[in-house]
Amino acid sequence: MGVNLAQVEGAYKVSFPHMGNYCIPVRTLAEPLECEIVTPPKMTRRTLELGARHSPEFVCVPFKYNLGNYIEALDIGANLLIQAGGGCRFGYYAEVQEAILRDLGYQFGMVRLLGGFDLREHIRDFRAVNPRLTLWRALKAYRVALRQTKALDQVEELMRKNAGFEVEDGAFERIHKRFLAELDKAREIRVIEDIERRYLAEMASVPIERPDDMLRVGIVGELYVLMEPFSNYFVEKELARRGVEVHRFVTVSHMVENAGKHKDAYLRRMIELADPYLKYHVGADGTESVAMTHKLMRDGFDGVLHLKPFGCMPEVNAMAALQRLSREHTFPVLFISYDEQTSETGLATRLDAFCDMLRMRKGKPSR
Amino acid sequence: MQATVGLPRSLLFYKYHVLWTSFFEALGVTTVTSPPSNRAMLQRGIELAVDETCIPLKVFLGHVDALRDKADYILVPRIVTLAKDETACVKFLGAYDVARNSVPDVRLLEYNVDVKSGISEKDELCRVGRIFERSGRRVRRAYEHAKREQRRHNAEITLQQEQALERPGLKVLVVGHGYNLYDELLGKPIVDNLKSQEVEIVCSELADTAKARRLASRVSTDIPWTYNKELLGALELYRERVDGVVFLVTFPCGPDSLMTELCIRRIKGLPAITIVLDELQGEAGLKTRLESFIDLIRMGKDIGSTQVEDSSRLPQGSGVA
Repeated sequence: MGVNLAQVEGAYKVSFPHMGNYCIPVRTLAEPLECEIVTPPKMTRRTLELGARHSPEFVCVPFKYNLGNYIEALDIGANLLIQAGGGCRFGYYAEVQEAILRDLGYQFGMVRLLGGFDLREHIRDFRAVNPRLTLWRALKAYRVALRQTKALDQVEELMRKNAGFEVEDGAFERIHKRFLAELDKAREIRVIEDIERRYLAEMASVPIERPDDMLRVGIVGELYVLMEPFSNYFVEKELARRGVEVHRFVTVSHMVENAGKHKDAYLRRMIELADPYLKYHVGADGTESVAMTHKLMRDGFDGVLHLKPFGCMPEVNAMAALQRLSREHTFPVLFISYDEQTSETGLATRLDAFCDMLRMRKGKPSR
Repeated sequence: MQATVGLPRSLLFYKYHVLWTSFFEALGVTTVTSPPSNRAMLQRGIELAVDETCIPLKVFLGHVDALRDKADYILVPRIVTLAKDETACVKFLGAYDVARNSVPDVRLLEYNVDVKSGISEKDELCRVGRIFERSGRRVRRAYEHAKREQRRHNAEITLQQEQALERPGLKVLVVGHGYNLYDELLGKPIVDNLKSQEVEIVCSELADTAKARRLASRVSTDIPWTYNKELLGALELYRERVDGVVFLVTFPCGPDSLMTELCIRRIKGLPAITIVLDELQGEAGLKTRLESFIDLIRMGKDIGSTQVEDSSRLPQGSGVA
């Protein structure tokens, strides 16, 4: 944990790494710092290339994406970077990324939020940047950001389940785009609630046609590649295009709900769900991946996709259990590892084969 | 019939083997240790493990498999936290469940240490001990005896290391986990090679852990992993007294991927080389790299000493061959 502002010259310009569309609530959270907010440029191949070039060779790929975001943000004027931390290598990202960027010659400050979802620690760290920050202001920003996150997660979940069956191509995406623009401007709980209600209704009224051989597939795995579509090569959209209804539990709302004082109880529930494949917690999201796969299987889903960055330790632990589960119940699980070498065509072929296989298992002819 | 407990010669064995063997012996339980790693065991581990598992864990699964039918139980520690604000590498959280799901037909005996949640090594090993000995008092006495033996052993190896540091000659610090460094397949060829070049080897693994842990924060404030913290601290402890550093890393080790990066950036000025071991290790490439690394240090020392005209800095008896 810590704040290092020694090298910042002039007014603060704060930036952060991307993850999905969560830059919207993150900007809300950063507003009480009362400084310019620099959103990193949209993720491209270049982001990953930049990040990978300066990263340790076999660090997990979210490190490389984050580093790429930082470099691109610093290049357009950011001088204060925020990084969080978690229960695996993620907890150690910040210090190493700071050392790499300093060796590259960048002058910047770094705020390392390693307290998980501990609000008090965040406020203390933020006060180092903005001493006038009041508790009230920080709490209000936190509440609004949480509500935005919830709206985002609700709307995108509806989209995941339905976008594959839209009659008119791109109908969901167009609504989604307008939704994001409105959500980005909203700063009041009532307004956000209204936006959520309206867009959920609008999406629910989009004409869809569900085929007889519709597939239901769950997605589990490591949180970053689950929630950053660029890093998973838009796997949800790809599945939707193949006529699959996609389910995913892991969202930021879900994580916030089960963090802090709820964490131990949540882990116990997950271990119960993962029984008999796990007796103990295997690290970060690993236990959850096994528990959710077990649940999806019992709920009658057709298959599960397990996503992770190459070498992700908690998920590799989970895979030993998942492979046994898949073997013992002949339940299809497709394991996908991502790094900067992952090929789009390779992934498309594997998804095609997986969906064909699931349809064959259902005894329906392949489309 | 007397019970037997199998100890896989892998992972934490190298840290705790004195503790384990003394503990079980004091309870009248026979321990069976798997043989030093060999190609066939590694191959078996690779077959059993998920592809992306790190090499030491693959080796470990090979050792667990080798103990099947050799012992009634196989001891597998599960280490979560050994101190507040620290964690063990994620593979130690999962080793028990991974072995249970990957190795068929073995009876595992786990002990689960999570100091942060109030579960101590003592409580857990004593719980295990009660399987073999009904008297709780005798089990506790066995544990205390084993703990003393372990401390004595640790003090001895730290002393040996200090003696090595006093000896003349080129000294190289090897930063790497014991389970890599001492493994017959992984670290041994490297240690042997360095020895054949008449290099005095200093192991980060053998440093006084209490001292090392205190010093670690000078290099890194955020490092969460206990065992890596000890390695980092050892680097700080010895850096003034050695001529070069070998980072011994296995593919694709999570903690080491980041720790090595940070170390290399922080110890500028001291010659360093990173050796990444994978399951396809070719000996020739390794030999060339280590030899040129040592040559480079020796050349650097010669040049350095002529420039400053200070012959006392020349390593005695280590003339360039």
